[in-house]
Amino acid sequence: MSGGHLRHPRNLRIVIESHGLSRGGIATLRYNHSMTEPTIRVLGLIGSAAYAALIGWLYLSQPQTMAQVAGGLAATVGAYHIDQAAFSEGLRLFHEDRFVEARAAFARADGAVRDARTQFYVAYSYYRQGWHRLYHDDALLTEGLAAVDRALALAPAGHLVVEDPGLSLQSADALKAEIEAGLSRDWSDLNPLRLFRERR
Amino acid sequence: MAMREAVWLPALFLTVVLVAGLRLGEPVALVPPSLFALVLATMLLGVLVQGGVLHPDALMHQRREPVANLNGALVLASLFLASAQAFTLVTPDAGLFRGMVSVLLLILLMQTLAAAPSRDRLLRSLLITFGSAFLLKFIVLAGLSEPAGGRMTRALQALFDAATLGTVMQAVPPPAEGYLAFLALALLMIGLALLPGVTDRARRLSAHDGLTRTALPEPVE
Repeated sequence: MSGGHLRHPRNLRIVIESHGLSRGGIATLRYNHSMTEPTIRVLGLIGSAAYAALIGWLYLSQPQTMAQVAGGLAATVGAYHIDQAAFSEGLRLFHEDRFVEARAAFARADGAVRDARTQFYVAYSYYRQGWHRLYHDDALLTEGLAAVDRALALAPAGHLVVEDPGLSLQSADALKAEIEAGLSRDWSDLNPLRLFRERR
Repeated sequence: MAMREAVWLPALFLTVVLVAGLRLGEPVALVPPSLFALVLATMLLGVLVQGGVLHPDALMHQRREPVANLNGALVLASLFLASAQAFTLVTPDAGLFRGMVSVLLLILLMQTLAAAPSRDRLLRSLLITFGSAFLLKFIVLAGLSEPAGGRMTRALQALFDAATLGTVMQAVPPPAEGYLAFLALALLMIGLALLPGVTDRARRLSAHDGLTRTALPEPVE
């Protein structure tokens, strides 16, 4: 029976009569009732503050999917882990130059977009797919730039090195510089020696 | 009372903050309140206090326990943010109507402040204000801006857009956004009705008490 219900004298009398309470019992009932209100207030305060913090976090992080919401919350308490099997599959597809399939696997592995290393590989896949000897696909390189920025933002201290012998560029900073160079327009684009450049 | 103040009111108003800020376009976004909406929300708090819908002493007072005061502060803060988000929600996103609706809401609040209506009348007035703005944005303007099906209708729409210099047409919100807006406004109105206020009788007695105090001369010994 709730405290609000007991506040009515008739209901209180019914409870007292049905339980055969003595004067001491009535005092106990009153004591319990007075204990309830601070508990409600404290619990309400904690719950409301947590709800407000969640809403504030949602406004700041702007997640796009429920997976991002769940992953973001898990990452806040250090409990976020990528799907290792999907990541390994993505890595295999990446090294086979099947970049679209690799990105799909990476998206499965890191559904919440919270893992720096996976985002680094996503960026690298955009770079390799967008790189051509005669021209660069700016749309893909722009996606790559966004992904490497995400990787840098997620990396501890904003520094990320991935030790993978299959990659010429093993740091996120170097990859970012390479993508930015690919996106820039200058006189070096007309240099015929550019035809002899290799993909990194 | 404690349950309402510590749980229900913050939960209602914070839900309004969340739902009213949601824009279901591509990409999905949570939009913070505009600066003008913050001004309108401040005025709304003044109107609520004056109309007896909100009695600040019932939420924060030196005689209350610190935890109770914290509950009250959270109610006030969430009420302010929910009001600001509700104003942002019902204001069109762009064009001529954005400015017009903003000014109209400001004038309506100032008029309400000057008229000093009773609690019940104020709640009814706010229902009409938010309801009208909702109708204008989510039904009238959305209907006008919706891509037309037929060739003739499209031509008329293009002519209308050109005649109004593109100031009337809006980006059409997804249908679900209208339903969410309705939910947010309904929750806000429920929250306002649940606020600890002053009854009209108590306000009248208080006003009468003030009048007699000023009208009667100080007792002379």
